[in-house]
Amino acid sequence: MESEASKKLVQYKWSKVAYGGMQPGYDDNYTDESFLEDMVMNANVVKRDFWKVMLDSISISQYLCIVALVVVVWIQTLHSTIDETFLHYLLKVSFFISGLYILAPVYHTLTRSISSDSIWALSVSLLLVHLFLHNYSGYTIRPPGAQNNPSLSSNVSLNASIIASVLIASRLPLRLHVFAVMFFSLQVFLFSPLVTFSIRNYSFKLHLWFSFLLIFVTLSVVYSLHVMLFIILLSLLVFISIVGPYWLIRIQEYKFEIHGPWDEAKLCFDITE
Amino acid sequence: MHRKNPVSFLGQMCMLKAHRILMVSDFFFPNFGGVESHIYYLSQCLIKLGHKVVVMTHAYGNRAGVRYMTGGLKVYYIPCRPFLMQNTLPTFYATLPILRSILIREGISIVHGHQAFSTLCHEALMHARTMGYKTIFTDHSLYGFADVGSIHMNKVLQFTLADIDQAICVSHTSKENTVLRSGIDPEKVFVVPNAVDTAMFTPVPTRLSYDEIVIVVISRLVYRKGADLLVEVIPEVCQLHPNVRFVIGGDGLKRVRLEEMREKYSLQDKVEMLGAVPHAQVRSVLVSGHIFLNSSLTEAFCIAILEAASCGLLTVSTRVGGVPEVLPDDMIVLAEPTPGDMVRAITKAIEMLPDVNPHDMHLRMKKLYSWHDVAKRTEVVYDRALLCSNKNLLQRLQRYLKCGAWAGKLFCLVMIINFLLWLLLQRWQPSDNIEEVPDIHMHEGRQDTGVSDS
Repeated sequence: MESEASKKLVQYKWSKVAYGGMQPGYDDNYTDESFLEDMVMNANVVKRDFWKVMLDSISISQYLCIVALVVVVWIQTLHSTIDETFLHYLLKVSFFISGLYILAPVYHTLTRSISSDSIWALSVSLLLVHLFLHNYSGYTIRPPGAQNNPSLSSNVSLNASIIASVLIASRLPLRLHVFAVMFFSLQVFLFSPLVTFSIRNYSFKLHLWFSFLLIFVTLSVVYSLHVMLFIILLSLLVFISIVGPYWLIRIQEYKFEIHGPWDEAKLCFDITE
Repeated sequence: MHRKNPVSFLGQMCMLKAHRILMVSDFFFPNFGGVESHIYYLSQCLIKLGHKVVVMTHAYGNRAGVRYMTGGLKVYYIPCRPFLMQNTLPTFYATLPILRSILIREGISIVHGHQAFSTLCHEALMHARTMGYKTIFTDHSLYGFADVGSIHMNKVLQFTLADIDQAICVSHTSKENTVLRSGIDPEKVFVVPNAVDTAMFTPVPTRLSYDEIVIVVISRLVYRKGADLLVEVIPEVCQLHPNVRFVIGGDGLKRVRLEEMREKYSLQDKVEMLGAVPHAQVRSVLVSGHIFLNSSLTEAFCIAILEAASCGLLTVSTRVGGVPEVLPDDMIVLAEPTPGDMVRAITKAIEMLPDVNPHDMHLRMKKLYSWHDVAKRTEVVYDRALLCSNKNLLQRLQRYLKCGAWAGKLFCLVMIINFLLWLLLQRWQPSDNIEEVPDIHMHEGRQDTGVSDS
């Protein structure tokens, strides 16, 4: 009788269920062989190719160059080496410009009570914020009919760049300078991501040529401006386009992703609010 | 303490084994939910088994101080205000003095914390270990590994579980999750599920007619509970089965979306929205339907399914987390969390309905789940915890050091400061000066497990 009962206990197979109380013959802390059997590791890991990562990183270098060029223009205007008559031509472009023109005197005196050093320090930090949060794979300004709304970080990035332009513009000697620099900066920061994105979509080769040209032009302009800045920019570009991708490929092997039945289910359809 | 009443030999045996337990969680009555009812019912049944149970939670509005609930369950609502989602502000050390005086006053031997995102629970367990009490932790929820919030929570859990005596999870899936998140030894983790008060959730004596089939949904209408799935599923089901009507109880951010769906498909007469349903009325809503629909995207256990099954409803649920472990296959229809599969499962459930006898289902649930059984299994965990050897501070610090290159050292620092504060507190307020509370023994007899409180 007793042996029969114990036989029954031995025969009882543990199952992964919570109902029916404690399972006969097994303690509650029993860990079955099937423990963690449904765990999936590194299911979504993408194997990255060094060349692809490197080519993709060109976009970042390209944008860095654009920002560097804008900064060069700022510095040049601050030293007033640009001809004023050229600026008169730009005046006639559109109504938006006249609004900016009317506001130029306000910008002109906006930061008179602040020292130039503070302005430069603030502008540099704002530009760093801009570069850090910039959306390198898309654009913040939407062309008409585009679906996706820009994310918060790309908006913050754009705003940081605009504030930086205002700060720099406020240090300029002439109202016309203020207006011109503001206008130029706004145009570049607003539309250059859209232009580069369109170029990349049109032809990747053209995108590469354009980027290399831009990098070359920027480096030469910066070289003529300041050697130290040139070295910094060059090392930054090397880091972004060569060291960075190599590093990323190296640390890929440490990637560790866990999935299992405890994950929150993802909805397979879009939630349209 | 000297007792005047003569205690029988058997009673004395029981008294020797009796534990003195402090349950700690941010979540308790008057809040309602899985954790709250788990603590309440577990405490009630442990008291019936002859143990002493005290509950500690934070103050809810004016409800601060000491309260008594059914069966002499003493509840300390300590004066900490919740700041976010019923959680107290994480202060690390501020709760040490009050916890110490409660532990000494009540003569506690085991501290049992509940729920991974209760700050009060983590703090109390930390202090209890510093003071050398046995500690047990129950995990009631599942976490992923990918987002920032989860990574942070998992580190906190690792800290709490680094030096815990025993841990309890509510389902096997939850155990796998907890072991992965905290790196605790699986042998230390017990699986003790939730249960349901079958006396409270009874089916109606007369069977409902099948001319009109009512599908009941009772959940908070939020993303995690799959309210967006409902928005897709309900119009399709209504189109496929003209005799189906939905009753939706619950409130939340996604309620607007459900109402929009109802307008868009003109389903005003097919979909009834009740708004938030008080816990006392859940049963009356449940028994008005044939099928219970759970659309959660993640769930460690899901007590709502048990309540529905106890009322004799056939359940249709998403196959997520611990849900597949909850009921035998013939009492639940599982579906992948996609609208198409959910509709298929509901259709299957409607076909199964004539074979489902609510009364039989209720009787089966009585056998499958009871809080008494949960309490007995938890008792085993307490016994095991008492068998664990006591560790001194240095031995315990070694466990924390293993938690990570930076985190390990940080955890050690937190524990050392806590230890010093405890020493200071012992000087400032010696335990001899804290008066012990005499135990109250309620009269033996059948007590209703319903919540009675002023």
